[in-house]
Amino acid sequence: MHIPDGYLSPQTYIPLYGVFAVAVTVAVKKVKKEVSALDIPYLGMAAAFSFILMMFNLPIPGGTTGHAVGSAVIAILFGPWAAIVAVSVALIIQALIFGDGGITAIGANCFNMAVFMPFTAYYLFRLFSYNTVRKARVLFAAFISGYLSLVMAAILTGIEFGIQPLIASSSDGKALYCPYNLKIAVPAMAIEHMLLFGIVEGLITAIIVGYFLRNEPGLIYAFRKGR
Amino acid sequence: MEYNIPSYLLKIADDQYDPAKIKRSKLSFVDKTIINSAKAVKSIYLQAENAGKDYFIQNINPNVKLISLIYMSIVISVVNNLVTQILITAFIFLLYIIARLKLYEVYRKIFFLAFIFGFLVILPASLNVITPGKIIFSLIKFNKPSHFLIYNIPKNIGFSINGFQVVSLVFLRVLNSVSFALLVVFTTPFSSFIKSFKMFRVPDTFLMIISLAYKYIFILSRTIEETYFAFKSRLSGNIKSNNIRRLIGGRIFFIFKRSLIIYQNTYHAMVSRGYTGKVILHSQNQFSYKDFIVLLVIALSGLVFILF
Repeated sequence: MHIPDGYLSPQTYIPLYGVFAVAVTVAVKKVKKEVSALDIPYLGMAAAFSFILMMFNLPIPGGTTGHAVGSAVIAILFGPWAAIVAVSVALIIQALIFGDGGITAIGANCFNMAVFMPFTAYYLFRLFSYNTVRKARVLFAAFISGYLSLVMAAILTGIEFGIQPLIASSSDGKALYCPYNLKIAVPAMAIEHMLLFGIVEGLITAIIVGYFLRNEPGLIYAFRKGR
Repeated sequence: MEYNIPSYLLKIADDQYDPAKIKRSKLSFVDKTIINSAKAVKSIYLQAENAGKDYFIQNINPNVKLISLIYMSIVISVVNNLVTQILITAFIFLLYIIARLKLYEVYRKIFFLAFIFGFLVILPASLNVITPGKIIFSLIKFNKPSHFLIYNIPKNIGFSINGFQVVSLVFLRVLNSVSFALLVVFTTPFSSFIKSFKMFRVPDTFLMIISLAYKYIFILSRTIEETYFAFKSRLSGNIKSNNIRRLIGGRIFFIFKRSLIIYQNTYHAMVSRGYTGKVILHSQNQFSYKDFIVLLVIALSGLVFILF
């Protein structure tokens, strides 16, 4: 899901930087209003938690392991606006320190995983849980929100890849950035996330939300807000 | 003398249990989690160690480095010529030598990232199915061209010249971008680097959150590493999937609670030092003549690369 440098043309990454900048500015204002202006360290904690979440591996069928992006669970636990700040800070640190995701692609990565995905996950969770605390329904809603939000974010990433040959090719038709067109990029991103990573994201979301539900349901933002 | 061995010692605890037959794959999620957290701690240490050295590039104003990073990232992304990209690779390598970084260690990381994202992922694009062109190495020959779902399959499938050019260009772009970004990161203290974003009117609050998160990540990564080592040292045999899920959920919940405690401690420490909710980060030092020269060299080099 992390787009590296070199895959997106300036025509794509510059507008996405703009969209991300607007979203994060609104998010910081919203969250400061919601959690009190004094609670800046709270957002730092949420960002660190988001980053740390990506370190936990889960065994998946086939003998390998996978880790979640974490946007869905962060959105359910902290709220979608806090998730924008938390996940984008985690992605920026990943890009700057670990080289995961490109510098030019920070705007695109943050838009896909820190803006689009948390909102999709949060509202899917609200839709499927019906604001009930019945364990089975909450777990199902958490799994579906994690699964679908990641698959949809992956399709969005596939579209960003797939339009590159259309908008940025050389005079002889050679691709200058991502060479895969929509017919290849979208199915490739969708299928691998539907069959593998979406399941991991869904499982991680359900496991964590389930644990919080059992131990401290009052900490789950989606329930605090939904009632 | 009669030995009364307790019955529980004579019984095999688990009929499946045989240390020689333990499947490591069943425990690989523990190893990978430890490796990930150790990687985070190591990267932060390495960054802090390199950035603190008293060498030429390390002493350049962080604002200049940030401007250079953004400028060079754009230059690398708009240069579509293979030869120019190779020249940029050489230019960045020269900067690494001036920075006196551990070349083997840093370039191992750079090549690993470039190989995964810039080569493996993009390699299928060298086939004529994706990038049409003159075939230089044929793989499969069919009797006639065909059509499968939405895809057109040519009569002859193989690696094309155009395909290799596309793969080489993307690979070099990824390599150059990663290497320049890591050069800046490894030669600049993280807090100064983050403060330099003030130039672009990034709100102080957001920068403060990044700085705090960076410190929390370091502390929490250590916590994960230690708790997983403790857990692993008591582990034997296979674990049921149910227990794995409960374990991971419990660890993440523990980390969350630990984060909350750290947050509350940080908050109280900040309040006791006069924090009122308003965040103002102080600007970096003024530019020196050396910084201007570096900026000029980078600007001219970028221009040459674009016009080459």
